[in-house]
Amino acid sequence: MNNIEKKLAEEKKRLDLVTAPQELEARLRRALNTSKPKRRNRFFTLGKLAAVALFFMMLVGYNFNAFAYYGKKLLGFDEVISGTLNDLNEKGMGQMIGKKIMLQDGTEFTIDGLMTDANQLILYYTLLNPNGIEEMANFDFRLEKITGFLTYSQVSSGVSSMNAAGTEIKGTMHFDPVSPFARKLTIHIWEPSLNGQGTESSLSFPYNPNKAMQTQIKQSIKKTVNVDKGYIKFQSLTATPTATVIEGTLDVENFDRLPLGLHGIQLIANGEEIEILGSGVKSAIRGSKFYIQFDRLPEQLESLELYVSEFIGYQKLDEMIVIGSEHVDPYILNGKELWITNISRTSKNVEITISTDHDVMLHGVSIGNANEQTSLLTTVNQTMVEQENGRITKERTLLFDLMVEPEFLLVEGMHYIKRYNKIIEIPVN
Amino acid sequence: MEVFQLVKKAKKGNKEALLQLIMKEKDVYYKLAFTYMGNQHDAMDAMEEMIVRLYESVHQLKKDEAFYSWSKTILVNSCKTMLKKRKRLVLVEELNHQMENEHNHLAEDPYKHSEQQIDIQQLLLHVNEHQKEAIQLKYFHDLDYQTIADMTNVSIGTVKSRIFQGLKKLKAHFGGEGDE
Repeated sequence: MNNIEKKLAEEKKRLDLVTAPQELEARLRRALNTSKPKRRNRFFTLGKLAAVALFFMMLVGYNFNAFAYYGKKLLGFDEVISGTLNDLNEKGMGQMIGKKIMLQDGTEFTIDGLMTDANQLILYYTLLNPNGIEEMANFDFRLEKITGFLTYSQVSSGVSSMNAAGTEIKGTMHFDPVSPFARKLTIHIWEPSLNGQGTESSLSFPYNPNKAMQTQIKQSIKKTVNVDKGYIKFQSLTATPTATVIEGTLDVENFDRLPLGLHGIQLIANGEEIEILGSGVKSAIRGSKFYIQFDRLPEQLESLELYVSEFIGYQKLDEMIVIGSEHVDPYILNGKELWITNISRTSKNVEITISTDHDVMLHGVSIGNANEQTSLLTTVNQTMVEQENGRITKERTLLFDLMVEPEFLLVEGMHYIKRYNKIIEIPVN
Repeated sequence: MEVFQLVKKAKKGNKEALLQLIMKEKDVYYKLAFTYMGNQHDAMDAMEEMIVRLYESVHQLKKDEAFYSWSKTILVNSCKTMLKKRKRLVLVEELNHQMENEHNHLAEDPYKHSEQQIDIQQLLLHVNEHQKEAIQLKYFHDLDYQTIADMTNVSIGTVKSRIFQGLKKLKAHFGGEGDE
């Protein structure tokens, strides 16, 4: 110990001997007794509380899905739900309903519960008939739509499973999202009746939109990707606990020429692809409106991007293929193979059977010789053939009006699935 | 009665419970106040100020077990507020008067008699107020760094640095005895 510390320690020893004066207690008591408790302004506190409550009420009233709902787990749906929905059900995110109606054939239809958010409504239902409902299930029992205030919600998909005895079906049906202003919903059920006609029945139940699950991200995108025959404009992304929906418009002339649709567009979160669940297009005043539904986003979101991997493309060819002579190797059009497997004539037509990759559709096809040309009449017998190497080819026969002697096949262009590899970054906060 | 129960009662506005809590540790409080104020009279004034402040705000105390450290912090703050006020008011005549008063007090205060005490106080004049405060709290009141940090509303690092720098200065002024 150095001298300073020794000095400090000595000082402490001295201070330790100091005790509070006798009169301290009396002085403190007097001080206490002359002091009044500060008046707490309870009225102001209440006022503040009321303001906060009012603010929250406004939030609830005008902001759909302001609160997540923690209800009870819907039981018995293990077989028809998996992944995200199963998770949410485990967490008790469903809204219990428990409304029943007797159908014409004596089957009891129960709405067990709902899960709703800004992307969809998922209905959990049960069909029960002790006498067996196998017959009916094979028939066209349909949940057609859900209606309510500002709500006209069409069914988009569904899964169901029957128990071993054939007396009970448990299923889920996905509908378009319902309005946050609806307080009562009605489900419209179409069931076949004995006379062969169908009948519609309906079942109404109260709905509490405040129990809908919270929208996690609502993000404007507003990015356009140009494709060969038009553009795709991505407008918005809505991420909810059940799904992630991308909406936009597209004006693509050859959009429906091949069945790829929108499934070549991927959503990549944190570098990993989110499973695509479905997509849809409907015509609008200018072009078409579309949506693509993906699974929900991961909870910890670091990056998010839309990847336009494949989409329909168009390649101008103006290719003249000489037919007639023997040709063993395929013709190559824009890097794609085309085999002519057969040429034949009937009394009226020339038939040329060709085979290409499954994603190729020829455009502006005609046959001709030096003197005249004739355009494609129609295409018949289109089949998909899986080759030994697993590759899928598309075979079809092109029909032309009979000409004297066709010497070549003219192809103006082709529609095909093209790799665009365009990336749109979506900001995440 | 258990401290815990007393705190509960005090929070409900029971004056006697609050007083008992302070009286249980009266010497500790008093010494603390004395260190800041330098005389018995002001130390007790500071404690009066403290108990009134405690009474007014004890209902806000969140952790009952923190009563003592919380109340000591309030005492330290009361002392500082009083010192600040006094500094502003002290005029030369008053200062002289005060010094006379203190001379009168000396007779009844054994603490004041010591040459040693005057030594250390004079020595402490060589460090700044913050350093002095930190050194006093640590060496005279045996408080740990965290408690000092809480009481003086600075980080632990600052407390350590104040003590270290303060001691260094003191050593330099104490003079001559060189390295340890």
